[in-house]
Amino acid sequence: MAMNFWESQARARRYTTLYLIFFVLLATIAAVLVEVILRVVAGDHYTSPYPLLGAFFLALTFTVALVKYAILRSLGGKHVADEMEGRRVDVNTQDTQEKQLLNIVEEIAVASSLPIPPVYLIQAEAINAFAAGLKPENAIIGVTTGALKKLSREELQGVIAHEFGHISNGDMRIGLRLAAMIMGFYFIFYFALRVMQFSQISRERDRKGVPIFFIALLLLIAGAFTCFFGKILKAAVNRQREYLADASSVQFTRNPEGLANALKKIAKEADSSMPKSGTAYSHLYFNDRTGWSSLFATHPPLEKRIKAIIGSLRSLRD
Amino acid sequence: MTALIIIFAIIVLLIIWGVGIYNRLVTLRNQVKNSWSQIDVQLQRRYDLIPNLVETVKGYMKYEKGTLEAVINARSQAVQAREAIEKSGGPTEGSIKNLLSAESALKSSLGNIFALAENYPQLRASENMARLQEELSSTENKIAFARQSYNDQVLFYNTAQQKFPAVLVSSAFGHHLAELYEVTDANAKNTVKVSF
Repeated sequence: MAMNFWESQARARRYTTLYLIFFVLLATIAAVLVEVILRVVAGDHYTSPYPLLGAFFLALTFTVALVKYAILRSLGGKHVADEMEGRRVDVNTQDTQEKQLLNIVEEIAVASSLPIPPVYLIQAEAINAFAAGLKPENAIIGVTTGALKKLSREELQGVIAHEFGHISNGDMRIGLRLAAMIMGFYFIFYFALRVMQFSQISRERDRKGVPIFFIALLLLIAGAFTCFFGKILKAAVNRQREYLADASSVQFTRNPEGLANALKKIAKEADSSMPKSGTAYSHLYFNDRTGWSSLFATHPPLEKRIKAIIGSLRSLRD
Repeated sequence: MTALIIIFAIIVLLIIWGVGIYNRLVTLRNQVKNSWSQIDVQLQRRYDLIPNLVETVKGYMKYEKGTLEAVINARSQAVQAREAIEKSGGPTEGSIKNLLSAESALKSSLGNIFALAENYPQLRASENMARLQEELSSTENKIAFARQSYNDQVLFYNTAQQKFPAVLVSSAFGHHLAELYEVTDANAKNTVKVSF
């Protein structure tokens, strides 16, 4: 069934909400589980009327996540481009291709009613692009030199509009929040590991109290469990946001062929390698093939994306 | 006493409701105005670019005086239509139609220039020409995108006025349906095709 871009956007948003609810559920379930297991196994020692361990688990994860988020939030999109050794395209550039790129960015800024972001060129043969920065005001767009060279004007316009879609939909913010939550889960794991090491040394003294080693083991498992499923959920959210950005791209340009042809060109590309320094940001890319299985993949398969876009192409023509 | 309180509550609710509609309509009208000014900026930019194009082309196309004059005339008509809209403080049904027809005449005469330019290899190779072509087609795209968002805003604004219960008070608040900026001519929809 042909889908129009408004419908695809609504669907991607519904899925995002669903996955975010799963995320909160995941944390809550883990907290309840550690609490219940501790009461079942060590009920004689652990008699507090309040769910101390569960509350501790949630408090620690959310505190770490908030701190992490606060630190990362202050960084604009520029640091991503800097780390990938991107070169900012001069507004008064005399190069015709660069001028065209800037023109396209301005066009989509008009189409999406967003401010014009700075544009960075990344030295790489692969066709790729990314948007970074948490707010539209400090967002940037990065484009590889390969994309500039190999894509036609229409195709490049589709790609740029996709990146504007990420900016307009606030995807970098969602991604960072999820990453911060996973950092929180990971911190529990790390914290528990340290406590276990410590309690092994001082086991003699704790024999009569609450079994600290056991509590730490519980937290360790809970941390690993939430971290693992958190990563799967984060990847699932990311994939939905890619579909959403594709649909936004069509909304801005009303030209699904440009974006679809760009994706087809990428699918045919032999060399898709990006700078090593950008590996940490691969989830931001226009296309990413670093995921080692579809569960952890940050992007949907190209064929599925093309199919979804062609669907919106049909509905535009009908 | 109770009846008094109920009447009072109803009056308060009516006021809150009226203020809500009033503010919403004002916001939407401003958005329509703002998105019109986005179109306006790009139209102006295109009118500024055209004399440059004519200057560049003139040296090469000595025997195409008629085509060049057609472009200059179409441009000055479009400029007048735009100024008329600016003077009247916003697009009205008649003025937007004038602008539309002037714009489509300008578009087709520009298309003629670019088609003719194909016959002049030296002109096609000129860097200045390539730059002007890129600037003109980018401006063309911006006009198209700005028109899209203008029409979207007009749709939101008009729908908000026509909805019940706003329809009861919208004209009393001084709101009228805004004009869409639509390209009706099928040919005019095709923006100047520029090959690279």
